[in-house]
Amino acid sequence: MSLRPETPIDIAADVRRAATGQSMTTSGTSMMSDLSIDEELNLHAIGWEPVELVSGLSVFSTPAGMWNWGQGEITGATEAHGLAFKNALARIHQEAANAGGHGVVGVHIERTVHSSHIEVSLLGTAVRPVGSARIDMNHVFVSDLSARDFALLMVAGWEPLGLANGASFVYAPRRSVGAVFQQQTQNVELTNFTAAMYSARESAMQRMQESALALGGTGVVEVKVVEGPMRFAAHAIGFASWGTVVRLSASSHQLVRPTAVVSLNDATVTFEAATLA
Amino acid sequence: MSPSDLPEAAERRLGHGAFSSGLSVADFAACLEMDLEPVGLVQGFCAMQWSSYAGGLRRGMTPYGGGQGGYVENYQCPHGMISGEHRMWGQNYQQTWIEAAWTEGFSSAYSRMLEEATALGADGIVGVVDTQSSLSDAGIIEFHLLGTAVKLKGAPVATGTPWTTYLAGQRLAKLFEAGYAPVSVVAVVSSVRVWAYCMTEYLMGSGGASMWAQNTTPMEIEQVVRAQSAARAIARKSARDQLHGDSLHGADLQVLEREFEQGDVEIQTLLRGNRVRRFKEFEALPVPQPTVRLS
Repeated sequence: MSLRPETPIDIAADVRRAATGQSMTTSGTSMMSDLSIDEELNLHAIGWEPVELVSGLSVFSTPAGMWNWGQGEITGATEAHGLAFKNALARIHQEAANAGGHGVVGVHIERTVHSSHIEVSLLGTAVRPVGSARIDMNHVFVSDLSARDFALLMVAGWEPLGLANGASFVYAPRRSVGAVFQQQTQNVELTNFTAAMYSARESAMQRMQESALALGGTGVVEVKVVEGPMRFAAHAIGFASWGTVVRLSASSHQLVRPTAVVSLNDATVTFEAATLA
Repeated sequence: MSPSDLPEAAERRLGHGAFSSGLSVADFAACLEMDLEPVGLVQGFCAMQWSSYAGGLRRGMTPYGGGQGGYVENYQCPHGMISGEHRMWGQNYQQTWIEAAWTEGFSSAYSRMLEEATALGADGIVGVVDTQSSLSDAGIIEFHLLGTAVKLKGAPVATGTPWTTYLAGQRLAKLFEAGYAPVSVVAVVSSVRVWAYCMTEYLMGSGGASMWAQNTTPMEIEQVVRAQSAARAIARKSARDQLHGDSLHGADLQVLEREFEQGDVEIQTLLRGNRVRRFKEFEALPVPQPTVRLS
């Protein structure tokens, strides 16, 4: 396939044509999307189109008074996080299926962890192959890949299946008085801290992997791992991990060879004094 | 101020010879490429009284009032308790008067911007920027729209209402290339007020009163989920109502939560985008190719 269109694009002619005000009798339905024009063009290039702006959210309470004292995993928080994600996903999935989408791309994920509740909010654009009929809801996917990445993934012979996620909330371990006393003047590894953080991170990612397997995927791309203490709980740390589950849909991976280009519309690289410092 | 009266200063500014434009040089170049010539920077303002809409409303003694039309849901205490401390009822309701006031402010500013563009004989307005900001401490919101009026080179003087879009430059060129003609910018607000009932309050709150909520396992907080979902759904429906069969492109949805006091929250959703109309079939593009830049 040629990279260059056969005839040069005459934008001005298109603008004039648009300005004559003769709109097409729209055969398609009216769509709503939060994709940029570049993303929409990418979608169209692989024969897909946006359908509808869809959202899903959930808020789960966390058991009272669990943040501050304990050992090991804070199961209530882990559970609440998992349930909130699950219900938010189910809702965006339902909205996408109702709109006739075959999947949702570019899902923005907002998670907020409060001391009393955990909120997960998802927003994305439902998409489908141009003009195609609705499909069995079980085959509708939800993905946080941008439309561009989705197009590239499809060209490479892979398909997204859904959003995998996992979380783990743990209490930061406390050291015995003796240990604190002994370690006071030394820079040593705090093995109990290392172990607790290590295993919590692994648990979050392992849960994500399990949910990927449950969707029938062979892998997860664009995995994000976020972590950190929570403002309201000095002795607790939360880890969460998510990504798009993928599976090979073609008989084998289609190699997409990148083309080397010299871009002529970038800023000229000039000497910068700061590089000498 | 009647929407047909531009300030005298505006007439003087627009009457002058030189064009002004809010476009970057790159966007300016792209406009010329499309045969769209900037004719002037156009704008519209509207200042609206706001304080009485926001905090002014208090939780009443009688539940289930309102009746403003639109989305309402009631929640009843399951505990059978009667006490001043206990929130026996709760309500989610759409604050239609806030949505209407917002629409009034936005569309007044919008029509003033259109009027400036019409005075310049423009075909359209590109690169629209809209802001809503507090003008002072006095509870006033100012709606401001700003854009660059453009004229199609060599075309007869426009007679219709100018089209408008948030897009400019290459993005706008690509929009035309994709077969979409811009129609107008679309901006809508939805407002849902949440008055928590006891269950919501306990589940969202400190957890100290867990005896009411049996809060030992995670529970979905239904009232809040319903309110948040409704706010998003109402905004999308209002936007769709303005499309009249056209499409909304490049939408942006923002959610703002405002807590007036404990158990009294407003969820406001602002949805904006470009209303576009298809004027030619989409021509298939070559499949995108990954590239490695050597510069």
